[in-house]
Amino acid sequence: MERLVLRRMQGDGEEMILNFGPQHPSTHGVINFMVETDGEVIRRAVPDVGYLHRSIEKIGETVGYPGFMPFTDRVDYVAAMFANEGYALAVERLLKLEAPPRAQWLRAVSCELCRIASHLIAVGTMTMDLGAFTPMLHGVREREVVNDLIEALCGARLTYNYHRIGGVAFDLPEGWRDRTLRFLDHFDRFLTEFDRLISFNEVYVKRLAKVAVIPAPLAKDYGLSGPNLRGAGVDWDLRRDLPYGAYPHFRFQVPVGKGFVGTRGDAFDRYYVRCLEMAESSKIVRQALESLPEGEYLAKVPRRIKPEPGEAFARVESARGELAYYVVSDGTEKAWRVRARTGSFTAMGIVDAVSPGLMVADLVALIASLDVVAPEIDR
Amino acid sequence: MLTLREYAGNVGTTVRTFWHGMSVTLSYLIRRPITVQYPDRTPLPVRQMLPPRYRGFLEVDVAICTGCQACERACPIDCIKMVLEKDPQNPKQRLVTQFDIDEAKCMFCGLCVEPCPTGSIQHTQEFEAATRNLRNLTFRWASPSWPVYKVPKDASYYPRAPLGSILRPLLESRRWDAPGPQFLPPEPRPAAAPEPPAARPASSKPEPAP
Amino acid sequence: MTPPSDPLPPTFDPRARAARRRARRALAWTLAIGLGLPGALFLGVLVLSPLSDAKVLHGLVGWVTLGRAHPESWSGGGQLLLRVVLLALLALVLVTFGAVISGMTVWWEMRVSSRMQSRVGYNRVGAAGFLQWVADAVKLLLKEDLVPADADALLFRAAPYFVLVGFALTFVALPFGESLVAAPLDVGLFYVLAVTALVVVGILLAGWSSNSKWSLFGGMRAGAQVISYEIPAGLAAMVPVLMAGTLSLQGIIRGQGPWPWQWFFFENPFALVAFVVFFTAQLAEGNRTPFDLPEAESELVAGYLSEYSSFRFAIYFLVEFGNLWVMSAVAVTLFFGGWQVPFVGPETFQAARGAGDLPGLGWWALEALSMAVFVLKTFVLMNLVIWVRWTLPRIRVDQMMSVCWKYLVPFAFACLVGTLFWEILLVEVPAAGPATGYLLTAGFLVTAFFFLRLTYRNLAAVGDRIDLSNW
Repeated sequence: MERLVLRRMQGDGEEMILNFGPQHPSTHGVINFMVETDGEVIRRAVPDVGYLHRSIEKIGETVGYPGFMPFTDRVDYVAAMFANEGYALAVERLLKLEAPPRAQWLRAVSCELCRIASHLIAVGTMTMDLGAFTPMLHGVREREVVNDLIEALCGARLTYNYHRIGGVAFDLPEGWRDRTLRFLDHFDRFLTEFDRLISFNEVYVKRLAKVAVIPAPLAKDYGLSGPNLRGAGVDWDLRRDLPYGAYPHFRFQVPVGKGFVGTRGDAFDRYYVRCLEMAESSKIVRQALESLPEGEYLAKVPRRIKPEPGEAFARVESARGELAYYVVSDGTEKAWRVRARTGSFTAMGIVDAVSPGLMVADLVALIASLDVVAPEIDR
Repeated sequence: MLTLREYAGNVGTTVRTFWHGMSVTLSYLIRRPITVQYPDRTPLPVRQMLPPRYRGFLEVDVAICTGCQACERACPIDCIKMVLEKDPQNPKQRLVTQFDIDEAKCMFCGLCVEPCPTGSIQHTQEFEAATRNLRNLTFRWASPSWPVYKVPKDASYYPRAPLGSILRPLLESRRWDAPGPQFLPPEPRPAAAPEPPAARPASSKPEPAP
Repeated sequence: MTPPSDPLPPTFDPRARAARRRARRALAWTLAIGLGLPGALFLGVLVLSPLSDAKVLHGLVGWVTLGRAHPESWSGGGQLLLRVVLLALLALVLVTFGAVISGMTVWWEMRVSSRMQSRVGYNRVGAAGFLQWVADAVKLLLKEDLVPADADALLFRAAPYFVLVGFALTFVALPFGESLVAAPLDVGLFYVLAVTALVVVGILLAGWSSNSKWSLFGGMRAGAQVISYEIPAGLAAMVPVLMAGTLSLQGIIRGQGPWPWQWFFFENPFALVAFVVFFTAQLAEGNRTPFDLPEAESELVAGYLSEYSSFRFAIYFLVEFGNLWVMSAVAVTLFFGGWQVPFVGPETFQAARGAGDLPGLGWWALEALSMAVFVLKTFVLMNLVIWVRWTLPRIRVDQMMSVCWKYLVPFAFACLVGTLFWEILLVEVPAAGPATGYLLTAGFLVTAFFFLRLTYRNLAAVGDRIDLSNW
């Protein structure tokens, strides 16, 4: 593999070829980048992925449809609710049933809380990669409260397995709504403090403004999605444009990058879009909790799930972009094929396109601003 | 090139943003850290501070297990193994002779808890069960064997023991560094005599243990 | 859920008793080492450094031997031998002082930084985790000492010692108290600036000889950084020199007064700006965030230190944290009045000294007091360095160079020229000095008040409270 990659790099002997990873504090997981540099300036950076491949899609062919749900958690363990929801939606389309309204609302609540947790990690690790260690821990402090809330809801802090085919697994526990609303009150004010601490810090801005600019056409060509695409200036959000679940009932803004402190599409835009999205998520959770319909939280699903032969495709707006599942059924209890399309995998392609001309420190900023996590890339 | 205004602006922005940032950091100095000082400086043992739905180690109340094997079928990684036999004395009665849950393999997803008709298998709040030997994490709930529970016709509830009351004594009674279970001795070697040691070329590999 | 068993009353529960005994023993060890070790070293500095003056040395020898020995009547060789013995002892004490101070600095920095990050930090080894640095030092000593196969063996082994020497040599000229200088050089400041530049040789050697691309990156960056930032540091250090009229560190301190409005920092607005320039440049020289690119943890893992393990790594670690102390001490000397004790002027020292070779007990007490003042000021400034480190992100290499050459150097030059004019002004209007001193001190206090108020308001803004629990 390495020889294949190295042959693609043309050097005239002056450049250094550096292995950025796979063990590296700031590649957000086990990813390797073969970087060809001339001093501090990069000529080419090629990602080399596959270190975290766990054959999750193959496992989907051997465990049944309900049994695959915990494995979807592991597709992106930082924001696991989205993976759960995407798979549940895909299988529900195969079975031609829809989750009851209360389940859809609960799905939205859990997903948006998970989005907050995931963005806290994304933003926190970005600041840590750039040298400021404190904001990461402040973010993790808030994430601890989100984790506690979700732990009270479904029993686990990271691999939730909360959604089920046909609904969700549990209803809200006692007092959870008030706890969440109290947390959101605190969290909205925390975001302001976070901005004051680091977002507009002069050193931080100078590190990120006008760095690793991804123009909108390039972002669309490379199939970026989610905050990366919105940071490039493209106004596209699956929750609003291809709505699913309970999202048509909520009113929220979609933050789009517009060159907040630099050019449109630079690393700061992608970072700040995530900060703004956290505020929007908190709004959605509030609206969802206030308008939560009564009813059952799990539809009547047959004990053994044996959908008719066919295929289904479902996409959700995950924290990292578009997380889509393509499930093919052959009529038996086990799926014929489960394919997960993740936002981080497509974001790897852009590294090669944007990195020439960056400095090594900017490569770190680029990778951090793309918010890639290795489990999503390799599955 | 920078104009004088941009230059002064840079300096001013730096001072202003540093002012705010440093005040936030200083304010965190006087707040309470969020750390929970496990294991000894918590107000209660941590397992008692966890929410009721916490998916910890599995516990089976054998008194109300009906032997339906729904949990075994639901587990996606096959960490539950059950064997049911007919009681030799009473052919109408089924016995559960093996009910092993490999907690080392378990991914604590909770899919086995949902289909259980009586609520016999549950996740507890236990998580402190680390052992030195991996094999000791296989919990054998069916030694000795027990008859399956027959649900009474007019049952309105299932008399399950309080959650964790079976597992806690079990965890407390075993040692963390207990040796692993002894398995059957290996098969004896076939009748052909082994090579005489003198004929073997000198090699540094040690002989495999019998 | 099983109900919790009733806890035994504290006096009867054997585990609680054992825990309390362990805590008491940890506290005893902590106090013994925490107070005893630096106490012994400070005492060593206190007693040994005035002895570099020959008369005091001879007086002490005479007093110790109860009047039987008269070193002033010894041959030249004998006196030289006595002096050499003393200097060797003093050097040992100072280097040990440097090592121990850097260890305790590690502990303090980790405790402060952990609370800033909303976590607890070291709190197990020794009371409040004080002995953690001892444990870390022992662990580092016991690790395997790796020398990479393709590394340049001699340079790889020699590089840490350049760094250590560059660090240790500064202690010779640091004025710990009124007469507590190991070597009262007339060109003290020049010596300190020159000797701290030896560190860059060590870093470059480490980066090169490790034979690893990451180390090379770190070494090159460090070399560029330290050498560039020498210029604004030196220029800004010239401002107190101009104000005091001497390069000697003791002279610069004596040119200031004990009260804040008599410090150079407040007396001259250009010195205020020069302090900011000097502080920033010293942060860069010490490889502290925001200038810690050479060892940028998230980019280069450990930069030029990547290939080092065990004791060689311990030396780098020691020097980095000891440099905190040294840079704070130098800044305190130059801008904040050094060891000057309020209410105690030079005539008080003179009077307490008394006639005779060996100074009286009151003089020693005053020296100890001046050393305490120096240590306290250095400690406060050290906290500022720590605070800056854990708030700001890291700047990039080219931005670092542009900050140095486009911002710091022009400002340093401007301060230098401004101080020249200031000195002329002082000759014309002598009252300008104290007046500016009062004005700037008042301004500083007002600014500090607003800052603390903002800090307090941060808590209310988020809904938290002041809570000093959870150690």
